[in-house]
Amino acid sequence: MATLIIIFISAAITHNFVLTYFLGICPFIGVSKRLEQALGMGLATTFVMTLAACTTWVVYHFVLLKFGLPFLQYVAFILIIASLVQIVEMFIRKTSPVLYRALGIYLPLITTNCAILGLALFMVMREYTFLEAFIFGLGAGCGFTLALLIMAGIREQLEYSNIPKALQGAGMTLIIAGLLALAFMGFGGIVSD
Amino acid sequence: MDNTIVISTLSMAGLGLFFATLLAFANQKLKVEEDPFIEKILHELPGINCGACGFTSCRQYAEALAKKEAASDKCKASQEEQRADLARLLGVSLKTKVKEAAVVHCGADNSIRKTKALYTGVETCLAAHNTFGGELLCDYGCLGYGDCVQACPFGGITIVKGLPKIDRDKCTACAKCVVACPRKIISIMKVEDTQVLYVACSSQDKGALTRKTCSVGCIACGICEKLTGSAFSVKNNLSSVNEERMSGIKNKEEVLKKCPTKCILKI
Repeated sequence: MATLIIIFISAAITHNFVLTYFLGICPFIGVSKRLEQALGMGLATTFVMTLAACTTWVVYHFVLLKFGLPFLQYVAFILIIASLVQIVEMFIRKTSPVLYRALGIYLPLITTNCAILGLALFMVMREYTFLEAFIFGLGAGCGFTLALLIMAGIREQLEYSNIPKALQGAGMTLIIAGLLALAFMGFGGIVSD
Repeated sequence: MDNTIVISTLSMAGLGLFFATLLAFANQKLKVEEDPFIEKILHELPGINCGACGFTSCRQYAEALAKKEAASDKCKASQEEQRADLARLLGVSLKTKVKEAAVVHCGADNSIRKTKALYTGVETCLAAHNTFGGELLCDYGCLGYGDCVQACPFGGITIVKGLPKIDRDKCTACAKCVVACPRKIISIMKVEDTQVLYVACSSQDKGALTRKTCSVGCIACGICEKLTGSAFSVKNNLSSVNEERMSGIKNKEEVLKKCPTKCILKI
């Protein structure tokens, strides 16, 4: 149990995918303008991450390892992630057209979100069990959502502030991302890998 | 070794097949019923996503049309025939379109242009404009690298002697070039009338300076303003024509002739 909690906290906070590993920066910058959008994106990504962690674990252990093909992990994982994203996309389109339109291009882009491939590869590298992989995916997704929400909150406030012209838009966003990453580095010592 | 190839091929094919089935199944289950009307409307739109209607794509405009949230005459790129079909489909009467086209407000071609430096950077207007304004002496004039040519979705712009030449038959007034031009010297004008006058200069420098910079620049002398009873107006050292009053200008030939730097041109 303790291992699972540690894995969760480590994936969500101390080794946050976005702010510590710098994975998945594209949606982090792209969809962090509004809180609702960020939440939607965060939840979609969490869902994909959790599912991807479980599915890749199953495929890795029962297909790739069994036939002695671990070298195919990249191809197999990308295939799995792409299919999952497709399903999530269909699901969101069916259930919430508003969210579907708000997420726009970033929804299919979850496919190429390196955080998810990174997740699958980390999972294999650290030799997690199925349950651990599930918790790892959930934690990573929660961490991603957390980072996205913090960023969106800050950026919403930022609209009211007077930013020098040269730093408006992407410039300011990247500086904030850097500061956030610094803040998250502070968690570093709490849990060891 | 051969075995590995066979196994990996088979297992990947199996995985692919499995997920394809899953997707096909999900597609059946989660299918979104869409208004077939949208498809029909989309069929009558040009489908080039130029954005002139104010929507980001033809599809979004079609969706808005289907919900009757947008006016049916917003599309600038469609041809008369398509417009008629669209109007019939939507059950509205066809409004006649005033022909509009892009107009370049600079008349200095390669033979006239004066340079201030040698520019060897990236050959786009935007890059040149950001590098101290490129090699052109005039801070307002056309740089001639053809960012507008790149932007035009219809292939309606060619660079002739360093100046963009707009093919008015191809131009649909989508205003992509207006946005692309870093010097903002292209504007959309109504060109129905064959006798449309415009000022082929964008220089806001004082007259004396403009004279030194360019031989066909507007020096803000105000002669056009006096001749036409204020159908032209001089502001920020630059004359511009009031389109609403174009048809009221009776002495167009005289205006063309009296302009001292000949920067007023006829379309």
